[in-house]
Amino acid sequence: MTRVFYRHQALLSGLISFAVILLVWQLVVDLGFVKAFFLSTPTRMATEFMRQLKTGEIAANLSISLYEFAVGLGLAIAAGGVCGVLASWSRTLEAIFEPFVWFTYSSPTIAFYPMFIAWLGLGAPTIIAIAFLFAVTPIYANTLSGIKNVDQDLTRAALSFGARKTDLFIKIALPGSVPILVAGLRLAVGRALTGVVAAELFGATAGLGFAIAYYGQKLKTTEMMVNLVLIVICGVICTQILSLLEAATDKWRTGPGR
Amino acid sequence: MAQIEIRDVSVDYKRPNSEETFTAVDGINLSIEKGSFVTIVGSSGCGKSTLLLALAGLIPYAKGAITVDGKTVTAPGPDRAMVFQDASLLPWRSVHGNVRFGLELRRWRRDDLDQRVTRFVHMVGLGSFADYHPHQLSGGMRQRVNIARALAVDPDVLLMDEPFGALDAQTREVMGDELLRIWERDKKTAIFVTHAIDEAIFLGDRVVVMGKNPGHIREIVEIDLPRPRTSAMLDSPAFIAYRQKLRDYIAADMASLQMVKDVA
Ligand SMILES: Nc1ncnc2c1ncn2[C@@H]1O[C@H](COP(=O)(O)OP(=O)(O)OP(=O)(O)O)[C@@H](O)[C@H]1O
Ligand SMILES: [Mg+2]
Repeated sequence: MTRVFYRHQALLSGLISFAVILLVWQLVVDLGFVKAFFLSTPTRMATEFMRQLKTGEIAANLSISLYEFAVGLGLAIAAGGVCGVLASWSRTLEAIFEPFVWFTYSSPTIAFYPMFIAWLGLGAPTIIAIAFLFAVTPIYANTLSGIKNVDQDLTRAALSFGARKTDLFIKIALPGSVPILVAGLRLAVGRALTGVVAAELFGATAGLGFAIAYYGQKLKTTEMMVNLVLIVICGVICTQILSLLEAATDKWRTGPGR
Repeated sequence: MAQIEIRDVSVDYKRPNSEETFTAVDGINLSIEKGSFVTIVGSSGCGKSTLLLALAGLIPYAKGAITVDGKTVTAPGPDRAMVFQDASLLPWRSVHGNVRFGLELRRWRRDDLDQRVTRFVHMVGLGSFADYHPHQLSGGMRQRVNIARALAVDPDVLLMDEPFGALDAQTREVMGDELLRIWERDKKTAIFVTHAIDEAIFLGDRVVVMGKNPGHIREIVEIDLPRPRTSAMLDSPAFIAYRQKLRDYIAADMASLQMVKDVA
């Protein structure tokens, strides 16, 4: 019993603290310390969640948000990855991409939202474009630095065995930069999700962010918070998937195996 | 003509942060017969690694000519394999995978690829560690993987840069015996850099003593000890005489360095 406890201690402690927070939350509202209007309660939200589930609201909002997220992130991975690899081969290309990196890293991209609406209209394409812009930079920057900072000793060893350029790329540069690529992916996932939600908040016709803005304007706290929690859950699931990916690509560090 | 001919070779490096060059080795002349074992000694920084890298075709030489079997060396080739001084194993590949790496790069097309890898992993005594990754091995085990990787591609010439540098004296001896056994069986040409004078004498048909500023060949000592070499020879009068001779050469190089410093 104690062994089981220690093995799952982190998970258990997390669950306990989570349960305590829910309980305190429920109690401060039910006992009248805070008005339900400001905070809602777990039970209210559960009931509201079931309602939105039945009306199909959740399915509709969730699917559109996930669709925008997936397309934005997918495009960012493709474009950022390809540009990163190309830039690692050509200094000229790297110099050409450089200002764009500064720009997206240092400016609040979301401020360009009205222009995107002007170009792409109100709806999914605009939101995908924002998510893409949010996510593409870390993918590009990490791909570039991962491949550029390839271990010179390993390269030399490979060359001594007659490695060609493609060998160096596939057998040294790529596997050598897996950790930094995954780190880039992690950043990109977070930023793409933020991009989708922020863009939907500003103006959209569907999606979780839209639902938050919609219910928020109507001062319907419980309805709004259900969607907020859904976004948090999406974020947690994404992070967990990435952790699994990280563990899978990092297996060689922890145990024997080819 | 000998298998390897090094004629008046010098190697220049770029100095960091400047356009000037720096001559690391100069005026190197050396002929190496097929199947012979040549060891190179010399103080740190005298250009031993540089000479080996030039032989491997990994760095260009500014002057002179290097030929292997009559062909001028301009790039790495299947006739040569190198064991590097510093760690050069892929951390994400197992022992098996690292030995396989060399064969993959050499485009080994035969079906026996993995069997061959296994054979060489066993040969260096790492049979039960085939699935370990470099960070799970000791320094000496890593060097054995390096050696297995180089041997597996079946080169005519084996270039080894302080392959036993990280080992304790006992393991060094065992590995040296092992290396000689493999070398005597396959009759490869071996060029072996070391700091250890005893090791140089024990392994070599000839010991090349290098000096500094710029790196050059100071002396070549023929080692006239019978083969197979045994550890009993280490205490023989002949061995002791070679040891003394080589010590003197290296000390003379150090002394000349001291003079350079005094002048400057
Ligand atoms: N890539 C490089 N760029 C510039 N100079 C270099 C480079 N590699 C080596 N050198 C210089 O060349 C000289 C010879 O170096 P080398 O590595 O060949 O010495 P070594 O005899 O192998 O020494 P050690 O026994 O310490 O390994 C040194 O002065 C070193 O600073
Ligand atoms: Mg060296």
